[in-house]
Amino acid sequence: MIPDCGPECEEALREIERFLDGELEPGLRAVVASHLSSCTPCTERAEFRRHVKELIASKCSKDAMPNDLLARVKSLLDIEGASST
Amino acid sequence: MSMAGRTEAEAAAAAPDDPVLRERFEREAMPLMPNLYSAALRLTRNPTDAEDLVQETFLRAYRGFASFEEGTNLRAWLYRILTNSFINSYRKKQRQPVTVEGPDDVDEWYLFDRLGARHVEDSAETEVLDRIPDADVKRALEDLPEGFRMAVLLADVEGFSYKEIAEILEVPIGTVMSRLHRGRRALERALYDTAKERGLISDP
Repeated sequence: MIPDCGPECEEALREIERFLDGELEPGLRAVVASHLSSCTPCTERAEFRRHVKELIASKCSKDAMPNDLLARVKSLLDIEGASST
Repeated sequence: MSMAGRTEAEAAAAAPDDPVLRERFEREAMPLMPNLYSAALRLTRNPTDAEDLVQETFLRAYRGFASFEEGTNLRAWLYRILTNSFINSYRKKQRQPVTVEGPDDVDEWYLFDRLGARHVEDSAETEVLDRIPDADVKRALEDLPEGFRMAVLLADVEGFSYKEIAEILEVPIGTVMSRLHRGRRALERALYDTAKERGLISDP
């Protein structure tokens, strides 16, 4: 089930991932942006993908680091520095 | 990029007993530890191994820090050490190469079609996703084959560019794009299954 308003939709959806990742070269980026501004079905898909990307970013990055890990790494570095002199 | 072209031997040869170097390492590299710990958790999937991996990463980074070119991409350099350490230490133990197998034929719009089909208002399909507990989203990411997981983690969680990911993982950019694409589709499929198990959506 993909939007069926012709080759423009096809091209936009093919590039949507790189578009959302900010990895399209300016010419193609403008083409996709222009298509999205006039095509609701493609915009819905783009917004959906953007939301999933943001969801992963926000839900997968908030792990509490163990309190003593920083201190343990520092003492490893102390040992490393002492053994190299 | 400066992180290319340095061998372990060269890195180990730099004596890390310089107080200026130590001070700069603590100021620039150590504040990134919480991010690297989260990434290590996603890779190793358990806190004990994640702590070991972070310690190994920072020790190796410190040994090589004298040869790290100041002002270049420190974050990418640290993540490259992290992923290398993970692949070398943890995968070697299991004598397995990094896995990139996974569903190849996942429907491109699997999740959108299933959530979008039942939406009554514009935001309904994304609200379902928002209600999935953080722990379940983390598990879905952790369950991806490693090659996919590293690509999605570096792009979507850590915000690295394709070029940076290619350098961190030492693979061509085309490989990064393919792993990202397949990894994201597999992750969307897993999120759908999770939402269904949680009773957030009913079977079509």
